[in-house]
Amino acid sequence: MPAFLSSMLDALAGGWNSFAENFYICFIKNNRWQYITNGLGNTLQVALCAVILGALIGFLLAIIRSTHDKHGRLGFLNAIAKVYITVIRGTPMTVQLLIAYFIIFANINNKVLIAILAFGCNSGAYVAEIIRAGITSIEDGQMEAARSLGLSYAQGMYRIILPQAIRNILPALGNEFIVLLKDTSIASFIGLDDLARGGSIIRSQTYQAYIPFLAVAAIYLVLVMIFSKLLGILERHLHDTRAKEV
Amino acid sequence: MTKPSSSVPAAVSAPAHDPFLSDRPVVPAGKPLIVVEDLHKSFGRLQVLRGISTTILKGEVVVVIGPSGGGKSTFLRCLNMLEKPTSGRIWFGGEELVSCGSIQPDGTDLHLSHRRREANLNRYRSDMGMVFQRFNLFPHMTVLDNITLAPRLVRHVSPADAKAKAMELLTRVGLPEKAVAYPQQLSGGQMQRIAIARALAMEPRVMLFDEPTSALDPEMVGEVLSVMKELAANHMTMVVVTHEMHFAAEVADRIFFLEGGVIADEGSPDQIFASDNPRTRIFLRQVEHSST
Repeated sequence: MPAFLSSMLDALAGGWNSFAENFYICFIKNNRWQYITNGLGNTLQVALCAVILGALIGFLLAIIRSTHDKHGRLGFLNAIAKVYITVIRGTPMTVQLLIAYFIIFANINNKVLIAILAFGCNSGAYVAEIIRAGITSIEDGQMEAARSLGLSYAQGMYRIILPQAIRNILPALGNEFIVLLKDTSIASFIGLDDLARGGSIIRSQTYQAYIPFLAVAAIYLVLVMIFSKLLGILERHLHDTRAKEV
Repeated sequence: MTKPSSSVPAAVSAPAHDPFLSDRPVVPAGKPLIVVEDLHKSFGRLQVLRGISTTILKGEVVVVIGPSGGGKSTFLRCLNMLEKPTSGRIWFGGEELVSCGSIQPDGTDLHLSHRRREANLNRYRSDMGMVFQRFNLFPHMTVLDNITLAPRLVRHVSPADAKAKAMELLTRVGLPEKAVAYPQQLSGGQMQRIAIARALAMEPRVMLFDEPTSALDPEMVGEVLSVMKELAANHMTMVVVTHEMHFAAEVADRIFFLEGGVIADEGSPDQIFASDNPRTRIFLRQVEHSST
């Protein structure tokens, strides 16, 4: 019988008393629950700040890229954007994080800040391509109508194209945030005390793997489910305005 | 470089201004509003326009007919620079469009910056209403927002004034009850009437129609044409690309027959429908056959 199955059966065979005891050891004793709550705090902080940074970078890159595609302008910026997107998407996130921590920001000791920058820059490259696809999906007639009324390119972009593009790409953007939220678990590579590392520390102190890691997994799952729910509400709201009865 | 016709500077020198609408000099009725000189447009190797020269007068209704691929839509789209002409000059109210105001009536080039040219171009376009075959209403905005957006953003009209104007226009096109509707709740004919109202909200000096009824179900063509007839009766300068020959016969002051990228035939409806140009006759016969 595989080792993990037999140990799982042992844990179950112990019954409620054994579970309660193990739970006490993992979370209550020596205030070990704080590893989880501190980790959760760091994880949320990194994920939320990185998603905002990623959105900003993504918008900027997407507008440079699609302006270049349509008008042939901004050639130099477009070249930089293309290199950036290629490099970020072509290398593993873990390696990018290690490079950020040990090379680029070697002098800085704020792990949370470094993680935000690394995850934000990474997310930006993916968001850029999502937004660019969204902009491309809006038919040319929309910009033509805007320009024919005397709006500038920037006004047409901001008032006409982007609102429609964002509504179309909202599911893809939400998915990107979910991926980012889970990806932050690799921040333990640079020793950031995030949620996953909280579970890891408890395991190393208590020699108990099941309870801390299953608890950590459950927390990630709940976070993702809450976010999916919020996203669903937002999408429905946008569709409601679209089909609002007169 | 060819010099613009002598009538253009005369239009520039007209001193009257209407500051509420825009800062353009007002062209009196019957004077040249749009002057086109030797207009060429190529897409890659494909030559679509091969030298069009004409003058469109203030208050005139010009209908452009011709076989598909003849350059009708491209000609219209060059007039407000949605397509950049390959060569040639277009004068609108005495200002030169292709160079975005850089070329002066006397032929000197001011070498304006890119930013300045873009600003000029936006100003010209705000004075030229355009109605598209596929309506191109903004689907994420109500009808009212569709109409008031450009006056508020471009003309800086107050929201209240813009709304009042929009309601007036909606009444004029017969759809005042649709103000809070979204475009996808409307029929094609209604959408096109809203699109006309949206263009009119900028108080344009000319209205360009690019096959405005071609995407409509047959029973909705009439409602759009009647709005256009009403505009013509109120002396709006109009350039209309259409296959509606009855409309052309009834409303046009002049008809251009565009074929092979040039104006192959031109004249009043009576002249065109009785034209002895063999090309015109063949085309008219084909249109007649397809519509019966």
